[in-house]
Amino acid sequence: MAEPEAVEAPRSRFAEAIWASLPSVLSVGLSLLVCLLMIAITKGSLSIAGSAYLEMLRGGLGDFEAFGEAGVWTLLTRPWGEAATKAAILTFTGLSVAVAYRAGLFNIGAQGQMTVGAIAAAALGAKLSLPFGVHAAVCVLGAAAAGGAYGIIPAVLKLRRGVHEVISTIMLNWVAISLVENWLVVGPLRAAATGDNSISGTDQIAATAALPRLLSDGSRLHAGFPLALLAAFAAWIWLFRTRLGFETRAMGQNAEAARAAGIPSARRSLQAMVLAGALAGVAGSLLVQGTELRFPATLGAPYGFDGIAIALIGQTHPLGVGASALLFGILRAGGTRMQLLHVHKSFPELIQGLALLFVAGRLIWQWALTRRAKRAPAASGPPAPAAPAPPAPAAAVPSGGGA
Amino acid sequence: MAEIELKSARLIQLSHISKAFGKVLALDDVSLELRPGEMLALVGENGAGKSSLMNVLYGLYHPDQGELRIKGERVRLRGPKDAIARGIGMVHQHFMLVPTLTVAENVVLGREPTRRGLLDLKRAQQEVEATCKRFGFQLDPTARISGLTVGSQQKVEIVKALHRGAQVLILDEPTAVLTPQEADELFRVARGLSAEGHTVVLISHKLKEVLAFAQRICVMRRGKMVASVAASQTDTRRLANLMITGEEESAAAPSLHVTAEGSAAATTASAGEPLLKLDGVCAGPKLTGATLEVRAGEIVGIAGVDGNGQRELAEVVTGLRPVDRGEVRLCGATGSLDPHEARHRGVSHVPEDRLLHAIVGPMRVDENVSLGRQEQPPFARGPWIDFTGRRERTQALAEAYDVRPRDPSIPCGRLSGGNQQKVVFARELDARPKLLVAVQPTRGLDIAAVAAVRRKLLEEKARGVGVLLVSLDLEEVLALSDRIYVMFEGKVAGERPRGADERELGALMLGGAAHG
Amino acid sequence: MIQVLESLLFSTLEYAPALIFASLGAVLSERSGVVNIGVEGMMRVGAFAAAVAALAMPTSVALLAGMAAGAALAAIHAYLCVKWRSDQVVSGMALNLVALAGVTFLLESLYSPTGTPPIEQLHRWTLPGIASVPLLHALSGHSGMTYLALAAPFVFHLFLWRTAAGLRLRSAGEKPAAVATMGISVSLLRTLAVLGSGTLAGLGGAALSTSTLDRFEHHMPSGLGFMAVAAIVFGRWTPLGAFGAALFFAAGNALRIGLASSAPGVLEVIPQGFLLALPYVLTLLLLSTRQRQSGAPAALGTAYDPEAR
Repeated sequence: MAEPEAVEAPRSRFAEAIWASLPSVLSVGLSLLVCLLMIAITKGSLSIAGSAYLEMLRGGLGDFEAFGEAGVWTLLTRPWGEAATKAAILTFTGLSVAVAYRAGLFNIGAQGQMTVGAIAAAALGAKLSLPFGVHAAVCVLGAAAAGGAYGIIPAVLKLRRGVHEVISTIMLNWVAISLVENWLVVGPLRAAATGDNSISGTDQIAATAALPRLLSDGSRLHAGFPLALLAAFAAWIWLFRTRLGFETRAMGQNAEAARAAGIPSARRSLQAMVLAGALAGVAGSLLVQGTELRFPATLGAPYGFDGIAIALIGQTHPLGVGASALLFGILRAGGTRMQLLHVHKSFPELIQGLALLFVAGRLIWQWALTRRAKRAPAASGPPAPAAPAPPAPAAAVPSGGGA
Repeated sequence: MAEIELKSARLIQLSHISKAFGKVLALDDVSLELRPGEMLALVGENGAGKSSLMNVLYGLYHPDQGELRIKGERVRLRGPKDAIARGIGMVHQHFMLVPTLTVAENVVLGREPTRRGLLDLKRAQQEVEATCKRFGFQLDPTARISGLTVGSQQKVEIVKALHRGAQVLILDEPTAVLTPQEADELFRVARGLSAEGHTVVLISHKLKEVLAFAQRICVMRRGKMVASVAASQTDTRRLANLMITGEEESAAAPSLHVTAEGSAAATTASAGEPLLKLDGVCAGPKLTGATLEVRAGEIVGIAGVDGNGQRELAEVVTGLRPVDRGEVRLCGATGSLDPHEARHRGVSHVPEDRLLHAIVGPMRVDENVSLGRQEQPPFARGPWIDFTGRRERTQALAEAYDVRPRDPSIPCGRLSGGNQQKVVFARELDARPKLLVAVQPTRGLDIAAVAAVRRKLLEEKARGVGVLLVSLDLEEVLALSDRIYVMFEGKVAGERPRGADERELGALMLGGAAHG
Repeated sequence: MIQVLESLLFSTLEYAPALIFASLGAVLSERSGVVNIGVEGMMRVGAFAAAVAALAMPTSVALLAGMAAGAALAAIHAYLCVKWRSDQVVSGMALNLVALAGVTFLLESLYSPTGTPPIEQLHRWTLPGIASVPLLHALSGHSGMTYLALAAPFVFHLFLWRTAAGLRLRSAGEKPAAVATMGISVSLLRTLAVLGSGTLAGLGGAALSTSTLDRFEHHMPSGLGFMAVAAIVFGRWTPLGAFGAALFFAAGNALRIGLASSAPGVLEVIPQGFLLALPYVLTLLLLSTRQRQSGAPAALGTAYDPEAR
């Protein structure tokens, strides 16, 4: 059609970043509000809901009032530790999904890759005896290798046989969970019965394999948290500053054009999926080496599936992923404290799920925001839809094979 | 009695129709009348609003303003269903057929005969057979669409409209995918329908066929209706002026006819060393033995009906498609090709579908310019992206190729089609190729942009670049090429020099031996 | 031996309905072109709603509540994916997460963290005449869900391939524009298909809590929704194929549970984990040997924009 050639005037990068993150921020806000009302309705009182939220914040950010009265540092550091350990795991699974997404692959399989990584870390941690420091690093690297290897499978199935990665990673999740939790953990790797206390899960890892704690004994804040921040930063550098990252993103947004430009797309896909698997694997190792100190009977919280929410709420931008992981790490650490008011500790997961649902309706936000922008005076209003969208995977067609 | 009254009446009146898509005004106060039994052509450049206007008439688009009257009665079409019920049928440029279903199933879709709640396929086949017979189409109702030729699929589309009792038949760029012979056949059918009292509207930008076919020609430009003239009282030059400037006589119109003759300096005689030699190349099911040669400093055109292996040929040369058999000698080497290797040997590629194969829409213009050479200076420094070098080179190219707007940081997908094509040309020619493979390089561009692209191709030829031009537009191939290969069913069916006869090429395109 | 087969067949028929209904629902949605990996969540809300309703009303009526709950979740999916052209995989996963956490929250708020109180199970029908016939005997003594689940796939086959609506639905999944230009609303077709899909998934979930068991348990449906997705891929997006796959997977499940209770020795040799992983490994193997012909609808996963230019 007769298109006007002038596009909007260039605006500052900062304004653009704010504008782009708006749908996510609003989604999280709306989700918090909806969930608040939900507690209010089920408990029959808005003030209970309010105090439940307050408890959640105390549990995640620290109980500042009690600290003011008692002056005991653990009142702050313990919640921080809980929030940070959860945020670290969420960062890794979120990055796993985000990196694959940028390469045009929807990695539903972070859960499976994480399970494989966790069992690798648990086995290496319990079976090897290495000096302090080296042991922990070997376990983390072993988990990354295991997760990465598991990530190769969907990549190869897609490249060689045209199997859509959404289908294959769903299948591989259950394969990993079944084999690890219902075979390895109850069979070959079951904890040796010590005395009469029957432990479920694998043997406890050696003290040398545990991730070093960063604060005093009251807090579980461990080296995994700075590692996660580092990983988010490194992923950002890789995706947006290096040639390889550029090639990967180009492939993710238009595989055909990337191939025509001579980008070895098969190799880039494989690299991205190995990286995604490795990141999820490290998430598993953090859970084992930082929190559980063994592979428990079941992994419990579905951090791998949460990674999808974290990645998309963070708009698949590594720094956005870090921010959303931190936020939900805090909320989830606080979830335990909500039980004081008889709200289930998994409540923050509901907030997270709803936020993802609202993020999924991105076009609704864009429509609503541009309508507001239009009504506002033209000069000050934000410009038309800037498509602050994360790239859609090249084809979101989870057909088993086919095109 | 009533019928006679209708004949003289206006069958359809579109008055003061406006329609906007976001910020773009696709239709701006357009009015049009259709009379019974009339053969009308709607012409205009790409994006002039022809298809949008017809989509309004077909109920696919809801106009923002204006009214529609059918047989004098004011109507509001809520969707194609209403339009179909009022006797309007449309054959879309891209066929609207379900490939996995049969002809009969496709034709009856939406008004299926049923028996006791179940689909009555027998009756569907009989009904479709009856419609085919009545209008003289030869189609097997039980054949699957995916197995039909393009020409037959188009017939299914027409049968689909007639089966629903269409009085008005809209044909949107129907000849784009047909050979001249198939197009003749289509127009014969259309004339027959018109003689029976059907109104036929032809949307096209091919002025020759419009003049041969229509009684009345309406010209659109930038969303407005600029003229309605009798075919007998106009010619291609006047129509072209109307399309480009909105006036019949205008000095400002850019030259339409950029041809090889125009750049007299470069002729076949001056063609240099061979750059590309294919010998019995087979690749996939569609390319079954291509033998041809391209030399430095010549434009070699590839003509053929869509789907006869031209696309695959271009993919082989650019390394996108592996060769099954035969030899490819490219720039002096014969080793196997991939896109990276092809670029390395000096091949640049302007592919058929920009947004699919050349441009990453959501990425910035400078990122798109670096594609293909993203690992070389000035686009990279070691493993790192060279942001400054990339921006500077992009700005220089945007200046040289007049890309608007100049800003290298906006997403490429937001540029207009013509400007996207400029970005692609700038990028591909900046690589200083020896061989340029251009597939349908002017598709979807307006006339000024078409002329610019054609001029660019001739400039490259003059610089000694070999150009392999694949186009479904026979006129374009004839206008630019020094030599023409015609492809049929995956093989080169013949080679002709510049100035070959259009009919003769058409016969070759259909696999017939050249007669005369 | 006959007795072993009988009990295997019997328990297969006990587990199968949930999987069959969920797979049929997924076939319906995906045939119209909308990916539905939210089946797991839809089953979960269906199972919960049916159990809760059955506390207050006859269980057979409570099934309606389960279906309605599944459909309600599906309505969100349809709204996001059909009306707003959201990413169908993202929307489905989001619904799974919401259903997982939301039901956990409600369960704990209203009852206990582990499950609802027991409800009256669906009536079990004794088929006259086959009580003494060996093997066939196992067909008797199931709830209505089982018999419905055995008949439904054939009805769906008939619907998809022999009715006008089925023709339109399949066309919407193959080439939506062709349907739209014939004056049929793609949005309406797809919305109805997704709603139907949610209703069936809800019914499948309800089968778990009202027929297979007599209460809602906190882990339900523990991955059956994803197994249903495997079943439709396995069954090439056809009702009968998905039916076959669902029966096969259910038989695998029955075998595993049967072995665990009656012959634990076998599980020492073949670990349970292997049997649990089997359906997924088989689906992957099948996908990787099939030559690019998956049978998936051509337009699956792509939103249809009627005014796209």
